[in-house]
Amino acid sequence: MSYPTPATSVKLVLLGEAAVGKSSLVLRFVSNDFQENKEPTIGAAFLTQKCTIGERTIKYEIWDTAGQERFASLAPMYYRNAQAAIVVYDITKPASFIKARHWVKELHEQAAKDITIALVGNKYDLVQDDDEGQGEREGVRKVSVEEGQNLAAEEGLLFYETSAKTSYNVNDVFIGIGNKIPEAASLASSPEQNNNEGRIDLSTNASSNGNRNLCSC
Amino acid sequence: MATPISSTPTATSSFSKRERRQSMAERRPSTSYTPAVIPHLAGLETPQEMSPLKLEECDVVIIGTGLSQSILAAALAWQGTQVLHIDNNHYYGDSSSCLTIDQLKKWCVDVNQGKFNHFKDAQIYIPGGKRSNKYTSRDYGIDLTPKIMFCQSDLLSLLIQSRVYRYLEFQSLANFHVFENDDFKQKITNSTSKHDIFTDKTLSLITKRNLMKFLKFILIEEEHVRRALVKQYSNRPIHEFLTQEFKLEESQINELVYSIGLCNKQETTTKEAVIRIRRFLSSFDCYGKFPCMTSKFGGPGEISQGFCRSAAVAGTTYKLSTTMTDFDPVSKTAHFSDGSNIKVNEKIIISPTQIPKFLVPSYQKLTESLPSYYITRLITVVKRDCKEWMDPPQSASAAIVVFPPHSLPTDNESAVQVIIQNGDSGVCPEGQSIWYSHTCEQDLARAKRDLECAFEKMEMALLRGTPGTIPDVLDDIDLFSAGTTPMADSFKLGSSLANFMPKEKVEIVCKVGYVQQTYINPDLSNVFKANPNNSITCKKVPTGVDDEDMIIFGNMPSSELSYDGIITNVKQIYARVTGTDDDFFDVDFEDDDEEMQDHQQPQQPQVNQSGQVLGGIVGGGRMDEDAIDEDVIEDDSDDDHKPFGVDQMEL
Repeated sequence: MSYPTPATSVKLVLLGEAAVGKSSLVLRFVSNDFQENKEPTIGAAFLTQKCTIGERTIKYEIWDTAGQERFASLAPMYYRNAQAAIVVYDITKPASFIKARHWVKELHEQAAKDITIALVGNKYDLVQDDDEGQGEREGVRKVSVEEGQNLAAEEGLLFYETSAKTSYNVNDVFIGIGNKIPEAASLASSPEQNNNEGRIDLSTNASSNGNRNLCSC
Repeated sequence: MATPISSTPTATSSFSKRERRQSMAERRPSTSYTPAVIPHLAGLETPQEMSPLKLEECDVVIIGTGLSQSILAAALAWQGTQVLHIDNNHYYGDSSSCLTIDQLKKWCVDVNQGKFNHFKDAQIYIPGGKRSNKYTSRDYGIDLTPKIMFCQSDLLSLLIQSRVYRYLEFQSLANFHVFENDDFKQKITNSTSKHDIFTDKTLSLITKRNLMKFLKFILIEEEHVRRALVKQYSNRPIHEFLTQEFKLEESQINELVYSIGLCNKQETTTKEAVIRIRRFLSSFDCYGKFPCMTSKFGGPGEISQGFCRSAAVAGTTYKLSTTMTDFDPVSKTAHFSDGSNIKVNEKIIISPTQIPKFLVPSYQKLTESLPSYYITRLITVVKRDCKEWMDPPQSASAAIVVFPPHSLPTDNESAVQVIIQNGDSGVCPEGQSIWYSHTCEQDLARAKRDLECAFEKMEMALLRGTPGTIPDVLDDIDLFSAGTTPMADSFKLGSSLANFMPKEKVEIVCKVGYVQQTYINPDLSNVFKANPNNSITCKKVPTGVDDEDMIIFGNMPSSELSYDGIITNVKQIYARVTGTDDDFFDVDFEDDDEEMQDHQQPQQPQVNQSGQVLGGIVGGGRMDEDAIDEDVIEDDSDDDHKPFGVDQMEL
């Protein structure tokens, strides 16, 4: 395999109320580009997916909440060095939208100031008309597009409505985030670039240092 | 689908109806939708914290998210145990937390109010208060129990095997300074190889030969020979061994025993010291020319968060700010401060700082007979990057300074050990450093004097090293001994402090002191040879029901500067819960191939050296041939430095 440029790593965290489809959204994004529909292995530290945008290849390291958000017990580690976040709500559940505001606030407090945040109203498939028309089913949607847009505008967020089920707009979210992340920022905090600054990457280090040192005593 | 949420508030939302007024959005009738103004969210900042646990039962409850409990939670969760992990505090880490300055201030108040069992005498000093001393509290991550990690150690192996390392960042630590004769000496730096330690150009030929002989003895000598010789001295002080067998001199002995071996006492036994010295030397060249690492953004506090996340991924439920208020051993029902009740099928494991009120009497009774040990700590955040202690200054972010026994004007009985970490390690802003010092001196007044004195010596050394005073001391550096570029405005190691009178003080952000108590012997003997008589984790806690053995009390962190002993202790508890530690973290991650691919760098496509990765970690240099099998020295079971699960470890 060859890549146009070395992939830059971007840590992306997911936030949102339980059952709004955070994991489904990521699974949709991660599995789409895979050759086969491989079930992600349980226990993966985080899911990774490469995303090529023009000349750049971004390698997303996607951190799921692993349920620790249920009782507001996310650790500082979760937010640390996150360059991007997706705050998800369910467009059929107003409470989840209220919760989304809470998570945006939390991100402003806990995460880096220059973090790129996307607000995502998920489950668009539920409001879509069955006969694939442009219209929406009456009364299912509980959070209007405008509400989402307004919050996004107020807080400086990207905004999308998606369906993890039909994959509507899912890739656009990640491409949108990738476009908004400054190239320099992603380079600076990419683990691959940092080896020479005293950081030890336990997964790759031995390949660069091991050779020389194995034979010495 | 279109049911108004207001009629079924608890079924779909995670906060229940009675806890707060319903929002406009929720009261909105579903049938006639109109875009509404989202209500102001004051008072809604943490809507989920109050929601009760909705579990009916679990296998194990763990109280406290300290490092040991977090590793235990992850190990149990991956083994298939349903774990509920709670903590009294609103943050992770318990006695091994990594706190911001504001959290630390509150912690000190709480300690002095007796809220944290086993901690006392907390003092915090912030010169000028927050107004003139402008700091941002959350820029700091101050470990309550700071530690360093040897490259050849069971915890590092476990971090790799469990993949928790992927949540963390590690930085090398190779700067070890020893204070002697009112002077700082540094023999080990990032550019030192294992051999260089013993081939310092300033040493006489004879000394060098003696040191080489000792190095060979430690690393190359056949096991039975080594064992036999150590056995002759087994419980005699290491000093005797090194002088009599290897004719080493005071300065080298200090280096070997207190810096390389990180021993606390002059009376440290030969057996213990040899294991400690070997630990250091066999940790060289695992990942490069450094024996130790620190984890970025915090030590045990950060690593425990990593294990908690791992446990959560494996299905553990987490709830902070929660305590267990009661437990009924007959129905096995635990009651929690949030009002919920949960049936506990197997065990309850409790941190010593979070013993529920109803269990305090039995905890006191069980610990009555155990000897306790005090650790006095002094942590100072200074407005200096302390690059003077780091080599090379561009990349090193941490250093160790050791004050051997009797090296300070206070004639300290115990060594004072100091970890310095600067802003590059993410624990404080750029240009600042945290000095973590501690001593095992049991006379607490004396311990505080020793720590203050060590602080003054370090402060003086820093001031002396500031530009302007350079010419006076430049003569003393051997510019070429380390083989690195001389650093003109760097620290002047090797020049005496005796005649230096500083005119200023090192500016500090905050200074914290406290005393911690533990039942773990500083030599870790009652961890490696734990039994119901010497270890709280082995004691059966009476519950009032016959033969019911449901409650296990955990240990406080030890005084040990490294992570040694922690995994051994966790495994003991693990075995008490599951019956055996054979399957401790015996997890087969199936995405190995994918992970390998991910880590291949596009620019070096030929890299596929899983074998060497494996060798680098497990081999630890030459572990296979050289490993002192600690069991063999005297048939003990000191397996502290045995790499964990060598044969299972794969990347």
